[in-house]
Amino acid sequence: MNRRPEAERGAIDPLMLEMLVCPLTKARLVYDRKNGELVSEGARLAYPIREGVPIMLVSEARHLEDRPAPTHRSGY
Amino acid sequence: MSNERASGGEGMETSYGYETVGEGEKQGRVNAVFDRVASRYDLMNDLMSAGLHRVWKDNMVAALNPPRKRGYRALDVAGGTGDIAFRILKSSGGQAHVTVLDVNGAMLAEGQGRADKRGLSDKIDFVEANAEELPFEARSFDAVTIAFGIRNVPRIEVALGEAYRVLRRGGRFLCLEFSRVDVPFLEQAYEQWSFHAIPRIGRLVAGDEEPYRYLVESIRKFPSQGDFASMIERAGFERVRYTNYSGGIAALHSGWKL
Repeated sequence: MNRRPEAERGAIDPLMLEMLVCPLTKARLVYDRKNGELVSEGARLAYPIREGVPIMLVSEARHLEDRPAPTHRSGY
Repeated sequence: MSNERASGGEGMETSYGYETVGEGEKQGRVNAVFDRVASRYDLMNDLMSAGLHRVWKDNMVAALNPPRKRGYRALDVAGGTGDIAFRILKSSGGQAHVTVLDVNGAMLAEGQGRADKRGLSDKIDFVEANAEELPFEARSFDAVTIAFGIRNVPRIEVALGEAYRVLRRGGRFLCLEFSRVDVPFLEQAYEQWSFHAIPRIGRLVAGDEEPYRYLVESIRKFPSQGDFASMIERAGFERVRYTNYSGGIAALHSGWKL
């Protein structure tokens, strides 16, 4: 697959951001540009964005108390 | 092990093909199948349908008939490789916007690569998420489609409820899935083909028999046309109809949120 520039990997399309909610609470998300994550305050979860794709899975999300998860993803 | 077709959604949660697995285990097992077949997904569908899946998908999007106007938004659930999304875009004259959702990252990566190659990245979004927990606001889409994906979802009725939630009033749900063959001779022939030929071909071509056996068995477990239509109605959809394709090898179910 295409490798995008480093800076773009955690980036997200603003229109997409407008549409997304937390899959658990269905509440709006806050985009954390620095970490490339979508933060659900209510669920205390941060969903990663990889290659521009938001990963809206609780199993992949970081609990807000924890450190940022490594950006490398096994599998591809 | 059970090869009985489920009549409602019951049992689909813990059935991995004919094998019974623990609650919560199915998603992981299904995911492993798609990790293994992502790059050969078209080949797999060609094998399962003798190439007919392309025609069925064309028919599905013809039935959807997306308008050639801006602002029309479709969500394709379990649509990783972009097969349906590209057809919707084409049919809308490039006016629609399609969000492709899949629980499997390998399938999405395949679709993203194809979208880049076709220069369609502006009109398609990719989201990795679960069909049972859609990460979208209520009433966000004009259409929700799912092609050959619903039988892999553990809790089908939950996924149907989510599809209903994210649709706007007047929005349409379309679901294409392998179904129950209703032509006696064809049924026997298809049975032979799917249980004996497909896993062997899978082993020869892809070097792996097990994922293909899962796919064949999961097709046989999935509720029949009428039973699935009832499930769609229970989720709140109205004017629920289905159309058999190729003698019921596949069926297109349609419902409206009115």
